[in-house]
Amino acid sequence: MSQARVLVVVETVAGEARPAALELFGAGRPLADRLGGDLVALVAGSGVQAVAGLAGTLGADRILVADDPALAEPVVARVARAVETALAAADPELVLLPATTLGRDLAPLLAGRFRAAHLVNCTRIQLEDQAVVATRPVYQDKLLTTVRAPRGRRIFITARSGAFPVPEPQPGRQVSIEPLAVSFTEADQAVTVTRLVEKPKGQTNLESAPVVVVGGRGVGSAENFRLVEELAAAIDGAVGCTRAVSDLGWRPHYEQIGQTGKNVRPKLYLGVGVSGAVQHTVGMRGSDTIVVINRDPNAPLVKMADFAIIGDLFDIVPRLTKRLREVRGKA
Amino acid sequence: MKIAVLVKQVPDPNAIRYDRRLGDLAPGTPQATNEYDLYAVEAALRLKEQLGAGEVVVASVGPGRETLNRCLAMGADRAVAIEGPSLPGDSLVTASVLAAWLRREAPDLIWAGQETSDAGTGNVGPQVAALLDIPLVSNVVGWEYSDGVLTLEREIEDGHQFQQVRPPALLCALSALDEPRLPTLRGIMEARRKPSERISPADLGVSDDELAPVVSWEGLFVEEESATGVVLQDVDPDQAVEQLIAFLQERRLI
Repeated sequence: MSQARVLVVVETVAGEARPAALELFGAGRPLADRLGGDLVALVAGSGVQAVAGLAGTLGADRILVADDPALAEPVVARVARAVETALAAADPELVLLPATTLGRDLAPLLAGRFRAAHLVNCTRIQLEDQAVVATRPVYQDKLLTTVRAPRGRRIFITARSGAFPVPEPQPGRQVSIEPLAVSFTEADQAVTVTRLVEKPKGQTNLESAPVVVVGGRGVGSAENFRLVEELAAAIDGAVGCTRAVSDLGWRPHYEQIGQTGKNVRPKLYLGVGVSGAVQHTVGMRGSDTIVVINRDPNAPLVKMADFAIIGDLFDIVPRLTKRLREVRGKA
Repeated sequence: MKIAVLVKQVPDPNAIRYDRRLGDLAPGTPQATNEYDLYAVEAALRLKEQLGAGEVVVASVGPGRETLNRCLAMGADRAVAIEGPSLPGDSLVTASVLAAWLRREAPDLIWAGQETSDAGTGNVGPQVAALLDIPLVSNVVGWEYSDGVLTLEREIEDGHQFQQVRPPALLCALSALDEPRLPTLRGIMEARRKPSERISPADLGVSDDELAPVVSWEGLFVEEESATGVVLQDVDPDQAVEQLIAFLQERRLI
């Protein structure tokens, strides 16, 4: 066992790893190799022994398992204590976390406590002799920037979902799996969880629908969603929406697609007035064909599209609905 | 109850234009109040109204006069602009300056927006909570306060999680909270007479170490790889729709 260089924080829910957390092995293994040290994984949760085994196959050299009922639910202060305990045990230079709601709380909380850098929601991570340099989206994913943190002190990095591939599992690797006992302070337990209202399943068959028509903030109002509904009906699609739209109350939460909503992989995704914030695109990037109608040619979703019309959706959508009805004999 | 709200003035996200030559935003991009921050202000005002007493103090690091005036016009009682030559630094510098101010103010509750629409790190709220060593509750979409306990509804991957905490705490607001009120004419008039303070990090005793950024930005760029698909721009709507229909037929999607 050589010196720990990189720690990946494997977030779990109900005894399973979050998919975004497994992508950290894709980001972390090459960094640990470059640094010539161990890749250490912290698996934090309750009933997570199976995840520890999985971490070994994905490239960890050493696995610390914080298996504690107090870690069963995502509460940032408690998981932060587990990470701090792992930092004391492994002393890594780089700490990688998923850019989940929990990861985006944990990394800045710990970076605040240690007065360390946090490189946020990174799509690329490069090592230089004197610094870690990363690419990250800014201005609501419309632009990118390069951020730089000097080496020589610990750096926290959150990895954007989907930016790093999960490595192929390699069974039979020799890894060390150690239990990690976490002592929680009184302050760690100041926040209690009273309940979880799971994502409503809703009436729509959004997750299995072959065609999904999604309206974003550009649709403008709850009333205007009539256009999206009519378009969906004309192409036999299910209606979905972005988080901005469900937060504004224009559409029900069960129609939300994205990080805090549903995941869809339809044959055809048709986005209307959707700019394509990563919060949304992580939930639809697996779609076979992506069609976008948007005013902004620089919208991230236009870059992902197989076919994009740049224009006013109020000009395009009614015409498209009418033509689809004609072509499909529903006029 | 004394409630502090951390707000930021940002380039208007609906007016962002990239200047390829400058490698930066086009000059003259209009400014706006960060949207989530307005929801945080609204939540603070409603809590004060529920309790029938208290004070709502808004603070901003960096240029933010219009934003602070808007918050006062919405009903905040007092505004503090923190300005200085080393500002803005990185998120940790901002958090350090705010934490120094908050130690002086000792509010019972702190609200912030979940993240800003510009850098969008989402760092400042959690870092302030870390520096003040108070509980953090993020992604808040609903709240209740009774018998000294806050119940907070959070939007997370698995659904809506309800957390409880006793103040002091730092809460990060999302836009599913109550719609921010628009300033009334009377509110705008009254805002002019409300206390508004301008202070520097030096006034707060922030050290040079705390003002030294740990993360630096190196310009803005756009993804070089342009769209790989068909992009129709400046095409007549009828023609564009016909081409889309042909595309969908070719892929046997209709």
